[in-house]
Amino acid sequence: MRHVRGFDVVRPLSIGMLVFMMLPLVFLPLLSIFIFGTSNGLDKFWAALSAPEAVFALKLSMATSFWATVFNVLFGLFASYVLSRYTFWGRNALIVTISLPTAIPTAVAGFALLLLWGPYGTLGRFLAPQGIQVMFTAAAIILANIFVTFPLAFGVIKPVFDTMNRSLEEASATIGATRWQTFWYVTLPSLRGAIVSGALLTFARAVGEFGSTILVSGNLAGHTQTAPLYIFAKFNEGQIEAANAIAIVLALFSFLIFSVLFFARDWLDVD
Amino acid sequence: MRAKESLIEDHKKSVPAVASSPQKATSVVGVSKRFGKTSVLENISFDVAEGEALVLLGASGSGKTTILRIIAGLEQPYTGKVVLHGRDVTELPARERGVGVIFQSYALFPKMTVEKNIGYGLRIRKRKRKEIRETVNELLSLVQLEEHRKKYPSQLSGGQQQRVAIARTLAYNPEVLLFDEPFGALDTQTRTHLRREIRALLRKVNVPAIFITHDQEEALELGDRVAVINQGHIEQIGTPFEIYNRPATEYVATFLGAANLVDGVLRNNFIEVGTAHLPVQLDQEKFKSGDCVKIVFRPEDASLGKTDFVRPGTHKIGTAIVEELSFVGAYERVRLQLEKGGGEDCALDDTSYFLTTETPERRKTKSIIATRPKLEASTTKLHIGDRVVVAITSFTVLPLNGNK
Repeated sequence: MRHVRGFDVVRPLSIGMLVFMMLPLVFLPLLSIFIFGTSNGLDKFWAALSAPEAVFALKLSMATSFWATVFNVLFGLFASYVLSRYTFWGRNALIVTISLPTAIPTAVAGFALLLLWGPYGTLGRFLAPQGIQVMFTAAAIILANIFVTFPLAFGVIKPVFDTMNRSLEEASATIGATRWQTFWYVTLPSLRGAIVSGALLTFARAVGEFGSTILVSGNLAGHTQTAPLYIFAKFNEGQIEAANAIAIVLALFSFLIFSVLFFARDWLDVD
Repeated sequence: MRAKESLIEDHKKSVPAVASSPQKATSVVGVSKRFGKTSVLENISFDVAEGEALVLLGASGSGKTTILRIIAGLEQPYTGKVVLHGRDVTELPARERGVGVIFQSYALFPKMTVEKNIGYGLRIRKRKRKEIRETVNELLSLVQLEEHRKKYPSQLSGGQQQRVAIARTLAYNPEVLLFDEPFGALDTQTRTHLRREIRALLRKVNVPAIFITHDQEEALELGDRVAVINQGHIEQIGTPFEIYNRPATEYVATFLGAANLVDGVLRNNFIEVGTAHLPVQLDQEKFKSGDCVKIVFRPEDASLGKTDFVRPGTHKIGTAIVEELSFVGAYERVRLQLEKGGGEDCALDDTSYFLTTETPERRKTKSIIATRPKLEASTTKLHIGDRVVVAITSFTVLPLNGNK
């Protein structure tokens, strides 16, 4: 029964099965965002998208995610360099700690930040009298984004560091380069692919962050409301169209990032 | 750590100024190295003259790579110093030594084109663009890679990559070129070809070079001189001819190709091997009459005859029974049991397998190997079981116990 006149039946069957299973789980939910969002015409969609609060939410998401990405990529580079070049007591503990935020629920992350920086928090109680308020501002959102995306860039960059041919750097040194020149001309170009994919991963994850953001931002429309919070708020208010417009933008955005990740890989790693 | 620092301090005090003769391009003076408690190099000293090629030959783990890394500044010696053209560079980091290292895997920068790789040394020295371009062009034509200038290393063959690696170091006029197992990654044919190419190139640029290899054939062909390294010390240093034909130790004799070792007793002006007498002139300080010695000779130095008549220039050492015959390309390889009968037996062979597998009667014989050129092999045919007279042309005498 496996072969009908030399035709492999299992192949089309298994592919069909895979697609069928993915339908209710992934394809249909995604599809319904687009169907619903555009069902009342593009005018309505556009109006919902250009509402001042919606535009602000998108901009705030992009800006906070951008700064979190910049920090985490630089930090990831530095941490990878230190942790793959040197062996020291406590090295593995540091690696585990850096990777830990992946396993921590985002709500817990947000709560932890509140306990540290909040008006009555461990650090916050000393800052509050000076008039410094970290929580419920854009800075709080960046801090939350940094926390939850902490291991992503590191996780992509470190393996490349580990497998990098050390003799390249030794060659550069014998040719006469300083450590800095070696890093700039030899090490960094080999990390180009890892840096770009680490950055995209971090950014994509930060833009969609909800659990920690809702705790630390204060969710104030037009001030500290990011795009995912906006979707949640509008949905609660019953403004499904407004929520849907932003949802479409975020969904398209992640498509874009992952296509870049997928197709640019070869180009970035080209020798 | 503290011990090491104080040693270096003492060293500085005791050697105030370096006064090497100008022909010495590179000197390694009394270098030793330890990793933890294990000593990997003991008191290594040698000089490389201007334009000379020295080969460090040794098995893996002999410490030869560590010597190279110490000269390059990638590793610090425990004691001793490295002198380049009269300048003590022991304390200098790799980047200030001006040494060219051709790594085993070439270590070309994968994201740079051939010309960028070659120009790298000048670029980081902030030379003018015009100067860089001119030097790169010169070097590209020297290593004959003009048409590949825009390619990336991964698009080149192993031999081409190696030439880029050499050109990349020549760009900044290195004091000495260090080659780490330069032909390890290549097939036999390319190897032989590249060896000649590199020799020719080195003669053209006249830069002293130190090669590292475990391949004895390569060492003999590449080097003006060869240093045989064993377990962190130099066994012998000399021209390929000396190393091969007059090995100073048993290790050198056996490491450089096949060697036969036969026991004998030294008499005033000859060596007694069984009933045969080999005339010798020996250093009176190292040897005295009555000493037990080892005679070392190469398979190709043995000549086999069916009669007692030996060819002029050869000396009979005994008779032997042919045990095995095999063809190895250009020559015939003959394994024989040399009969030691008679004479004073100096020492029992201490090789353990001899004791376990050989009967007491057979212990009176000694397994040796001879090779005969094809022409001789086909005109005077030998058969297994034949009794032949073994005579040798040249040989070396080593003291029986120990090398030092």
